[in-house]
Amino acid sequence: MLWISPWILGFTIFTALPVVLALWYGFTDYTLLEPPIPVGLDNYTRMADDPILGTVLWNTAVFGVLTIVLGTLLSISLATVLSHPVRFRSFWRAAVFAPSVLPLVALAVIFKLAYDPEVGIANTLVEGALGWAGVRGPNWFGSGFWAMTALLLMSLWGVGPAVVIYLAALRDVPRQLHEAASIDGVGRWGRFVHVVLPMISPVILFNVIIGIINAMQVFAVPLLLTGGGPERTTYFHSMYVYDQAFTFGDMGYASALGVLQFAIILVLTGVVLLAGRRLVHYRGA
Amino acid sequence: MNDPGVGDAPVPDPGSGLGAVSRRAALWGIAGTAVGYAAFGPKPRRAGAGDRIRLDYWEKWTGHEADAMKRVVDRFNESQDRIFVNYLTMGGIDRKATIAIASGDPPDILGLWNRNLPFFDQCGAIEPLDGLRSYGIDASHYAEAIRPLVFRGGSQLAAPSTPSSILLYYDRRIVADAGYDPDRMPRTIPEFDEFIERTTIIGPDGDVERAGFLPTDPGWWSWCWGGFWNGRLYDERTGEATIDSAANIAAYDWFQSFPKRWGLDRLRAFQGAPVDNPSPYRNFFTGRLATTVQGPWLPMFMDMELGPGVFDYGACPFPVAPELENEPPFGPIEADILVIPRGARNPEASLEFIAFTQQPENIELLNAGHAKPSPLATSSESFRRDHPNSVVEAHEALLRSPNAYTTPWISSWQELAMALGAGLDTIWNLRSESARGPLAEVQREAEAILARAADRRGRRGQPDPWLGIEPATGGAT
Repeated sequence: MLWISPWILGFTIFTALPVVLALWYGFTDYTLLEPPIPVGLDNYTRMADDPILGTVLWNTAVFGVLTIVLGTLLSISLATVLSHPVRFRSFWRAAVFAPSVLPLVALAVIFKLAYDPEVGIANTLVEGALGWAGVRGPNWFGSGFWAMTALLLMSLWGVGPAVVIYLAALRDVPRQLHEAASIDGVGRWGRFVHVVLPMISPVILFNVIIGIINAMQVFAVPLLLTGGGPERTTYFHSMYVYDQAFTFGDMGYASALGVLQFAIILVLTGVVLLAGRRLVHYRGA
Repeated sequence: MNDPGVGDAPVPDPGSGLGAVSRRAALWGIAGTAVGYAAFGPKPRRAGAGDRIRLDYWEKWTGHEADAMKRVVDRFNESQDRIFVNYLTMGGIDRKATIAIASGDPPDILGLWNRNLPFFDQCGAIEPLDGLRSYGIDASHYAEAIRPLVFRGGSQLAAPSTPSSILLYYDRRIVADAGYDPDRMPRTIPEFDEFIERTTIIGPDGDVERAGFLPTDPGWWSWCWGGFWNGRLYDERTGEATIDSAANIAAYDWFQSFPKRWGLDRLRAFQGAPVDNPSPYRNFFTGRLATTVQGPWLPMFMDMELGPGVFDYGACPFPVAPELENEPPFGPIEADILVIPRGARNPEASLEFIAFTQQPENIELLNAGHAKPSPLATSSESFRRDHPNSVVEAHEALLRSPNAYTTPWISSWQELAMALGAGLDTIWNLRSESARGPLAEVQREAEAILARAADRRGRRGQPDPWLGIEPATGGAT
């Protein structure tokens, strides 16, 4: 107990206390510069009439669903490829993981240059591949669709940690199950669908839950790349919480929005866990 | 054969991860480190303070702008031996100031923007500066348009440090080549539209090679366009938003005419084109833009980026709707301001420093270093003569105009500005036929924002202290 007391102290001061205070401030009118005044459920009833909240929740949901689906497909695919003996396998594994260690701000600056409509590498690639058909690269941050697409593509840049986890899970699939399926005449795709996926399904569940939490908290990259624009099409829930607290000086509503964010994550995690009961295969269960 | 020494060695406690280090020794070690850090660790910088009262002054400036204020601070520190001002550059100053004031540990003097003042004042987070009267400073000390930025209801809430009045800067060579007199620029919007047509160059493939003007280059004052039609975003006398007024719709229809006439994609290509100059002024400096709205600092950056005296520039008030042609100049103004935050330890000493900065010779030293006009009612001949901006008198004229305007005096301006920004995105991206629909949408958002602000005041028993007060001069958009 003595040895973990510094951690307990830090957790209490910097995590538990802020959580409790946020719960309390959610029921107050609080500008930071004035004492909080209790307002009951006002901050929560305001959510029902807040069109911007609807926009940010929709944007966050679209981003979350697409980034989880695409990220899961990509990371399982990469892990599957890298689990086979390929030349320079260690190099490819490191290459897939390396982008995840870059600071988000540095990454955002690099991608801002990459998405530049005139000199960015993104449009150079698009026009190199499709220029023969008269296709010109888009203005990535000029329209809502392309701005969201740019953020989604960028989110895939950070699949490295998930790939490492899937690689470990794939190595854990018993060889005899593959062999038994092969003897029964199951092809490569069949083995993947009926053997590999069920065996790694607990890991998929874990990564999906982590993905939900990360998607609900997406903040720094869109703030730096798009600032939420154009027309609030890349304005996400965490950005709205931050603006309410520190730009508009409404800490009470920001705290209520934070509680909402926590509740959404909790409910989605619960739904995924419930679904997991039917879909996830636990060895020995 | 046994090694005779081994059997005598102390056996480590298998339950302890740190071997022979006991808990008591570890705790003493931690305590000793803490005491040592407190005794010999880094200390707050007190260089030069001696026995004087030390004032911490947070300001947002870096580079040559910080150097200009440091010269004033040094002058103050040398002028007396009781107070020492310590200048500290602070990024994100308004947010950090909010947290510092809320936590009860604010600096002694704070450099904010005038747009921050309504919120800080509404929350009682700043001390009034009425004590400046004892130094001979009252409203008559300042230029006409500056007064409503820092005075409310006869009380001085802040002191202006460096003001900015926004003008239309132009490249005199391009203007002359187009057959215009560089000393007589268009004064009305229709004349200016014709000027834009004549100075714009469209390439054979339809691309914009040079634009006569673009309201989104740099686009830093997107809230300002209605003012040139005498439109306002907010009526201080009634406390109501007026965003979808006829004047504002006319102004933002004109704003939308640029992507309509040249094409949105071509404008995006123009503004994103690679130019060997990373600055936000690159299109103007490289002759790709004939005119631009800018503040008085622009010539300083011309000299720094292009070399002294290389760029032949001029500046004039931005053109207005024809019916306003003969009125004093219209245009947006802003100011950096000095305030004393609530909880400051030495408010009287802080006031003394602020009074020092407001003396003509000191404020002119500061503003010459920023290439900005003086916020005072008059400026010295030497200030104008030696000023790094050759059109500083045009900037001063706008500061003395009753038609200068600034952001509305409302505590929720930041929220309203964000709503307006989203509406202007819709207008610029041609997602509506005219500005009318998006502005009506922003108007609805603004009414909700203002209603919430009114609720908050009511809850705290704070009736709007400024409602119905006619600003002495100038105004807010």
